[in-house]
Amino acid sequence: MLPDGAEERLLANADVLADACRASGVQQWDLIGFQSYGHQLDIEAGKITMAAGGGEGGFGVRVVDDGRFGFAHLVDVSGAQRAVEQAVAIAKKSPSVAGFVLPSEQPAEQVNGRMDRALLNMSPEDLLEQADGILSEVNSLDERAVVTGGGVGVSATAGCLMNSEGVLSAGMTTSHGIGLQVTLDADGELTSSYQGQSSRAKLPEVPECVSRAVHWAQVTQNPLRLDSEAHDAPVLLTSEGFSPLFSMVVPPAMTGEKMVRKESFWSDRMNEQVINPSLSIRDNGVLEGGMSSGSRDAEGVPRRQQTLVEDGRLTNMLWSTRDSAQQVAEGRIDAAQSTGSASSGGHQSPPSTGCTELFLTSSEASQSRDQMLENMGDGYVVNSVMGAHTANPSSGDFSVTTSSILKVEGGEIVGALKQAGLSGNLAKALNGAVVLGRDVRRQGSYSSGSMHLPDVLLMDGLRINPA
Amino acid sequence: MVMAAKQTDGHHPMTTRFLDQEKVRKALDSAQSFGATYAEVRVVALTESTVAMRDGALEKAIPGQELGMTLRVLADGAWGVHSTTDLASLSDQIESTTRLARAVAKRRSSEEGPKALAEVPIIQDETHWRSKLDVRHTELDEKIRLMNEMHSGAIGHEDIVSVRTGWSDEHIHTELMTTEGMDRVWSFQRSLIHGMVTARRDGEVVSYRTRHGGQGGLEVIHDCDLVELGESAQRAALRLLNAERAPSGKLPLIADKDLTGVYIHEALGHPCEADLVAAGDSCLDGKLGQQIGNELVTVVDDPTMMGGYGAYPVDDEGVDTREKVLIKNGVLTEYLNHRETAHHFGVEPNGGARAQDGLHHPLVRMSNTMIHGGTHADMDELMEDIQYGVYACGTRGGQVDTGRGSFQFAAQEAWLIENGELTRPLKDVSVSGLTLEILKNVNGLTRDASLASPGFCGKGQTVPVGDGGPIMRISEALVG
Repeated sequence: MLPDGAEERLLANADVLADACRASGVQQWDLIGFQSYGHQLDIEAGKITMAAGGGEGGFGVRVVDDGRFGFAHLVDVSGAQRAVEQAVAIAKKSPSVAGFVLPSEQPAEQVNGRMDRALLNMSPEDLLEQADGILSEVNSLDERAVVTGGGVGVSATAGCLMNSEGVLSAGMTTSHGIGLQVTLDADGELTSSYQGQSSRAKLPEVPECVSRAVHWAQVTQNPLRLDSEAHDAPVLLTSEGFSPLFSMVVPPAMTGEKMVRKESFWSDRMNEQVINPSLSIRDNGVLEGGMSSGSRDAEGVPRRQQTLVEDGRLTNMLWSTRDSAQQVAEGRIDAAQSTGSASSGGHQSPPSTGCTELFLTSSEASQSRDQMLENMGDGYVVNSVMGAHTANPSSGDFSVTTSSILKVEGGEIVGALKQAGLSGNLAKALNGAVVLGRDVRRQGSYSSGSMHLPDVLLMDGLRINPA
Repeated sequence: MVMAAKQTDGHHPMTTRFLDQEKVRKALDSAQSFGATYAEVRVVALTESTVAMRDGALEKAIPGQELGMTLRVLADGAWGVHSTTDLASLSDQIESTTRLARAVAKRRSSEEGPKALAEVPIIQDETHWRSKLDVRHTELDEKIRLMNEMHSGAIGHEDIVSVRTGWSDEHIHTELMTTEGMDRVWSFQRSLIHGMVTARRDGEVVSYRTRHGGQGGLEVIHDCDLVELGESAQRAALRLLNAERAPSGKLPLIADKDLTGVYIHEALGHPCEADLVAAGDSCLDGKLGQQIGNELVTVVDDPTMMGGYGAYPVDDEGVDTREKVLIKNGVLTEYLNHRETAHHFGVEPNGGARAQDGLHHPLVRMSNTMIHGGTHADMDELMEDIQYGVYACGTRGGQVDTGRGSFQFAAQEAWLIENGELTRPLKDVSVSGLTLEILKNVNGLTRDASLASPGFCGKGQTVPVGDGGPIMRISEALVG
């Protein structure tokens, strides 16, 4: 999959850009570069409909002069001089942030498991075979089930980061991803479920998400007819149902900039209890095999493990170099420094602040799904939500819709609802009675990083509005 | 080397080709010699700029040039695709991409027909929608000045704690060459200014977003009273500080033009995308010609609506664009199609193929989607016989499950309607429903209809869209 010498070519091109920075006379600079290659199959209507492959990449360059920064991005380094000139021109128009300097070289922990050679050797034909196996498995699980969308893909990315202060980091990552929309048609009534899975290492030929997708399309058939009004109820959100809301609301609330600007619902609450005392939230930037972990953040600062909420108490916040310098310079906080939390959205944007591999854990014994249902008594199970991106990260309020919802009575699932609204305030719900399930699954996120989440039973503060 | 020797420097009209036509023709010929029945090369060069300011100070400005190319090959009735930023590698990819397509074709079952494309006029031309004020010539200082105009309107109240403003513009240049002899070049521009006003009082934090933009250059931004745009965002943010949580339940709903647009985009537009219909993932499968909505409802999707954020002159398969009437007086009349789905359904392509950029293949997408105006004079007339309901306005986005036909969209702010009057402000209002039920529940539309705020639509790929309509009344919707 990866052309010979891809990493070397990336570094050689980065050197061209670095030379242009040096020639410009700018005080400090850093650059990131990526070159990705991959194969991908699209599946529609139960068939593989397209095989695609290719490569893409580019560079982003940031210059810093007297605390002012400018940024530009480019694909072809023959335009390096022009890009650097643009970045320098922008820096001149930017406000100076006292104390903002790029980080110098510091020792960083080696993070393993970010590349799997087995993926480098995967050919499009191997992917086709895997997709054949998945389609066949879906059919064997339920012959009415059709994969109406999704696909399978692998990629390898060579990446590099260097700066004027001696940071030089380069390496390869791989990823393997599968996403499936499974639809069941029972007498013209469609039910469906989307489930996905991704990993830096090669996934099993038929990953677990396949049976989950079929299961949720099955169990939401033949919905109950309810005439009930909107009401408060305990809700068990599966890892897949919980993660979109959690990732939209919680990681942004823990960035230092939002905290000190009082734009977070946890502003001014450092060292106070903010969620249930049994719960902790940790960000593991050096997680082996993580999709977002690594030795260094997007500014070159070593990544680390950090506890953000310990036994319900807010203990830390996330900072990048520039954000911390700016908030100190503007007097919103006396002191702050990078926590190795600069994240990159690719070569087209400068680093921002975000989490990497976020874990929600409980000091209490985790429970099986059956135990959680028993604990719940009467309530609902929700496996996916629509509209999580409309949740309000400043307040934690959300109002979403689900078509993947089961009604629970006396600890037993009694049937599905066709559609329901689900609303509440996630920060408040996490501060109520919360029970965590056993099986932790990695989920992607709307903001940045990965969420490692079990099923979550929220007993308080959620409202169900059956359609 | 496929790339032309002379590239644009970004400051002159795009008349220079990125593709070396002779070399591309040879590459396409070789695809046919390997067994392709159709092949195309599409290159997109983007000259773009984004700017972000916070509280009147420049936070970041990002100029960029992106270039991407996608080779698409149809062989034995299946697709192979190769996308790359390395234009010089085209000829090396022809054989392997054709082989990929054939490997996919081998998996087709006997009862399944091969994929094919509906015929279209084969055109060689250039189409350039020139902006009055080319975004590539707009200096950063001018963008900052305009963003500060919006900022000046938004600040000035003790409860406003932050004002963010943003800018985005792009010049899109596309070249398409096919084995059929299509050789088209087209270009156009988009401009967008946006803001987010955050207010805080007694620990309550609220934000309000505003946007203005469309197809075109700097003139699009000049057409807007940016101070007023900032002031109205400030007023809305302050109102939200006093707003109550919305009631939950099935209620009469009035939606402003913004929300009407998002509603029709999510609830009807997506299920009308023929690739989803063909995949068995649309609740509108098999419903062409059927009455699916109130006869008041007529919906169009129109990429030729100049100025709309979803406008484009030629689709990404080289098909001329036109207005599509999706629903006429409540009857489903047309799906959105690209060439493959048009062949599948035995209709003519209607210019619905769009790709995010040069590195993505075209999907069936919306452009500018609107409900036509109705018969009511104004909102007061729509409201007068509502005893208890909700007026919702401004959009925080939406989502749809096209197969089930269920959708959700969220309002930026709302009011309670009591006895035909707006009474109390509400916040965090979302609306959900089922496409085939809600379209029948539309029972009032004001006469005036227009595109509302520009937006973006995600379907694996993100593309700019416009949507809008009149002010709309729905007799019953699930409000949360």
